[in-house]
Amino acid sequence: MNSLIRNCIYLGKNAFRDRDFVFWTLAYPIIMAIFFNAAFSGMMNLNMDNIQIGMTSHNQIRYIFEEMDFFDIHLIDNGNYVDRLHNDEIHGYIDDDFNLIVSKSGVRQTIIKEVLEQIKQTIKLNRPISGNEFSVNYISNRNQKANSLFIIFYSLIAMVSTYGIFAGIETVSIIQANLSYVGIRMNVAPLKKINFLMAGTIVAFLLNILSNGMLLLFINFILKIELFEEYVYTLILIALGNLFGIALGVFIGSSNKKSFNVKTVMGIAITLFLSFLSGLMGPWIKAIIDKNAPIIGRINPISIITNNLYRINILGNKSSAIEGILILLLYSILLLFMSYVFLRRKSYDSL
Amino acid sequence: MTVYRYFNKIAWNYKWAILMYIIIFFIIAVINSTDSDEREVSFTETKLNVGIVDKENSQLSKGLRKYIESKNNVVDTREDESFIREQIFLEIADAVIIIPEGFDDKVINKEESVIIYTDERKPQSIQIHNQVNKYLSFANITYGDGVFDLEDVDSALKETVEVDVIDKVGKSNNNKAVDWFRNYFNYTGYIILAVYISAIGLVMSDFTDSNIEMRRKISSKRFLHYNMEIYLGQLTIASITTLIFILGSIILMGKYLGEVQFAKYVVNLIVFSVAALCLTFLVNNITRNKYAINAISAVLSLGTSFISGIIVPQEVLGEKVLMVAKFFPSYYFVRVNDRTISSLLDIRNELFMQLLFAAAFLLIGLIFSKKARRA
Repeated sequence: MNSLIRNCIYLGKNAFRDRDFVFWTLAYPIIMAIFFNAAFSGMMNLNMDNIQIGMTSHNQIRYIFEEMDFFDIHLIDNGNYVDRLHNDEIHGYIDDDFNLIVSKSGVRQTIIKEVLEQIKQTIKLNRPISGNEFSVNYISNRNQKANSLFIIFYSLIAMVSTYGIFAGIETVSIIQANLSYVGIRMNVAPLKKINFLMAGTIVAFLLNILSNGMLLLFINFILKIELFEEYVYTLILIALGNLFGIALGVFIGSSNKKSFNVKTVMGIAITLFLSFLSGLMGPWIKAIIDKNAPIIGRINPISIITNNLYRINILGNKSSAIEGILILLLYSILLLFMSYVFLRRKSYDSL
Repeated sequence: MTVYRYFNKIAWNYKWAILMYIIIFFIIAVINSTDSDEREVSFTETKLNVGIVDKENSQLSKGLRKYIESKNNVVDTREDESFIREQIFLEIADAVIIIPEGFDDKVINKEESVIIYTDERKPQSIQIHNQVNKYLSFANITYGDGVFDLEDVDSALKETVEVDVIDKVGKSNNNKAVDWFRNYFNYTGYIILAVYISAIGLVMSDFTDSNIEMRRKISSKRFLHYNMEIYLGQLTIASITTLIFILGSIILMGKYLGEVQFAKYVVNLIVFSVAALCLTFLVNNITRNKYAINAISAVLSLGTSFISGIIVPQEVLGEKVLMVAKFFPSYYFVRVNDRTISSLLDIRNELFMQLLFAAAFLLIGLIFSKKARRA
């Protein structure tokens, strides 16, 4: 037990002296959050803007559009509507013969067209109308805010929760005789590698949790983006993300004979790629994958964390959380077991 | 050419670091190219993604369903509130319509008859509300003797309005291909910066190892020749990387080359590559530490991509963000890719700005290099 604590202290000090660790684990996630906020803040808070329509002041259907509260009418009597269309000051122009002129397609243009069509269609229907038929509301609306951009932040949190991968690679590299001098000494000394490996895992786990905590506090209090409502499941998922990351790092570190740098690049590439698939670079990628290959979303560990984070915190849906937790646990156990198989009884021809 | 040969040899040792970026990029490009087939291309009515659950199965509900399906794209959904809310949240569906049992009676009584899940803040919600309310109002107007005259409703709904689209000069007809090429080349801006700084930086850090440096200093190799071979090596890696991306675009979407301004993209990418190479030169002269190089590569490439419009379009970025972005060549690179031009002269200012940045990076790099030699 004493040696475990001693090893934990040594490895902890070692990690903080490692500039790579300090940057990738502590600083990089916060830098990414700043970039995300800079890029996406304008898109996070949607406000419905009215649809801008141009027409002459004597247009006969002017009053119909004026009655609808989602239209703003611009009276253009000098015929200078082309520039205003090109400058996006108006979404469409209705001439005195009820023709619609637009500069591009879009939802707003389609809405103007449909309202115009409704006038023509009502005439075509040719039935007696008392006047209040079109004021009836047949719809019970259930509002659900759509903001897939939140996915990006959840995906970032999921990605950095797996950043224990670097500490995992580092821990294994230290005990491998072909990669470090300490490893050579350990292999010729009567020390148990498992002790060191356990200490490495504990330190990596604690430090990465610390880094995750810093990121969450930064997002919550500095960027002022509220992402969490349900803390128990959130913390379990983030903790399991850490465990998975470390296990993957230990696996990468033990499964091949590449240099430490190459293993680190492999770690970055794998986490970045899995995060990309889960929507880190834009939620549309996640949408494409969910549509064409939904199984990827269910087995991609970062997607599991991302999906469950938004489900439990924004949608209040915990139904897939247990499944996700079990899959992450299974991955971690499998990776650690395979790493153990790679690491045990390793011998070297010469050191 | 010993130095040049070894430069390439060391670069080859880092092949996986380079290839991983490139492979991931191409996977993304292929995913995007499959998606591009489904995007709106020219002026047509915007079709929303709508899910419908019909529990009534009456003539009226079927009629409504048919009408909504004719105006929109149908997405699969199911009667599960959590599932529907997730579809709306993720923007997989713009709206999900539930037609409950007892629908017909509610329509006749002019009550709330259908449940629609949408985001009220988006114009898409107005569009789907309009379509549903219009159909049901028309149906109710035709209601008499216990039946709806849906044939009349359908016939009236066939009346349409002609829409005139004002032409924009020089705009391509194939927006799909233009979108793909713009996104593809915008993303190369990110990958090129990341690959140049990390790959060339890692190779350079091996050359500037203090032992190697000392051996070089006592060798008969002239410093000028040594530097020239190093720069030639950098140029080789840079050219191969850039060429891979240009060829990649031809392989993936070669059949559309005639429909987009391909020369614009290629010239712009080459000019940007020069600026990125000079930025790499500057980074290599500021630090020779591998860890710092990895960190700078990640922060600069991702950071400039986010603020310059590579990942998020420039039009949705804030003014302050764009102001900062103007201090990086990526901003001008993206501006060119996003623009429609009639000739290469139209983009001379943006190309000039990128070259100006290249010159500035080179000069600052030389100052650092001189300082480092004196130290």
